Amino acid sequence: MAAPRPVSIFEAYDRFNRGKKVREDTWDYVTIPTNALAMKDRYDIRFDKGIIPEDEGLIDRLFLAGMDMLVTTGFYCPDIGRTMEITEEEVYEGIKKAPTRLKLGKGKDKVKMKPRRGNAPSKPVVEGGPTGAPVSEDIFLPMMQGYAQEATVDTLVSGVLSTLDGHPSTTNTPYEIMATMAEIRLVREAMARANRPGMCI
Amino acid sequence: MDLTGLNMLAGWVASGDIIMIEQMPIFGGYCGGVEETAICDVATTLASFVMFNADTHLGGPIHIRWGITTSRETLQIAAHTAAAVDANTDLLLGNQYYTLSGPCTEMCLLETAAQAITDTASGRELISGSASSKGVVRDKTSPMEARMMGEAAIATMGRDIHEVNTLLDRLVSSYEKDFSRAPAGKTFQECYDVQNITPTKEHMAVYDGAVSRLRRLGLEIA
Repeated sequence: MAAPRPVSIFEAYDRFNRGKKVREDTWDYVTIPTNALAMKDRYDIRFDKGIIPEDEGLIDRLFLAGMDMLVTTGFYCPDIGRTMEITEEEVYEGIKKAPTRLKLGKGKDKVKMKPRRGNAPSKPVVEGGPTGAPVSEDIFLPMMQGYAQEATVDTLVSGVLSTLDGHPSTTNTPYEIMATMAEIRLVREAMARANRPGMCI
Repeated sequence: MDLTGLNMLAGWVASGDIIMIEQMPIFGGYCGGVEETAICDVATTLASFVMFNADTHLGGPIHIRWGITTSRETLQIAAHTAAAVDANTDLLLGNQYYTLSGPCTEMCLLETAAQAITDTASGRELISGSASSKGVVRDKTSPMEARMMGEAAIATMGRDIHEVNTLLDRLVSSYEKDFSRAPAGKTFQECYDVQNITPTKEHMAVYDGAVSRLRRLGLEIA
């Protein structure tokens, strides 16, 4: 049966509110491990020694197991205390809606992200940066410039400013917002100093 | 998914932004072993796109004991998840890097290379890193790790998977025995000339040492 339409973030919120009540500890300690183990057995998921899978049958069964896990289990919102459900048809409709190409950045610094299909002879997009690790205020700019000037780096991922004007950028305080805005300004300045102002952040 | 996440996503969706959803399953946590964690990883990767309007997804299975993405088990989970989604969809997948060792050490660069090799060979479209020292120690990341990430990816693309698996087994074996005594490394200020934004001679020597080691293991890295 076809899905009426893909699920949106707003539909997800509505479904959470209509969903089945579940305690968070039940979800964590019972629902997830029980269903994951059931899917492992149902689809005969057994990894061999290799880090990268070479068995195409296993690769396809793992996809089906993950799909079944999502459809059977749903998703949990701890704030609402309920689960939302989705059908297999809606999952496939959502996959069709997702982009298969993205353009990241602008001008000559723009890069394209497109499906590689296995170990294709094409380079993945390289996103350089501290990946959310804490960085001191006084070296944030030179550090980010260091990433921006690397030849293999295509886009940037920021670090986290530890302080702003000496104030800790603590979560859920006004300084968190100010520090986040400052990070964006500093990363843009770092890109400009590396002569790559159009890079994607 | 909590309400803070849903609200942020609603704002970005309404603004037409490109949305990358980050989700890192914990190996050894609620999900269980490598296979169960990979099953949950596939499920939550799909959910990011079909429930929460992601345009691209950033993974990163984390080891519950070590807090890193570069262990043998977490590399295996990431590779299997990417391969499964890659073979059955055109969804755009990324992965992020958390090493145990710190900057300006050969082990840090070898951990980074192992994950870049894994991510490239298993079909990911984006690699993002690196948060060295588990991403929790202030100033302990270096742009030379991003260079290694990119160069290792370039040296891996297009290679036969069986050959890559053999190489990876030797590479991961070379550093995983040192997890309990991983070198702390240096801060960015200690391994870069901050004024000229240039790696120190020591940092370059460590990088060149890691490149030589990778070449001996069979990776034709520049």
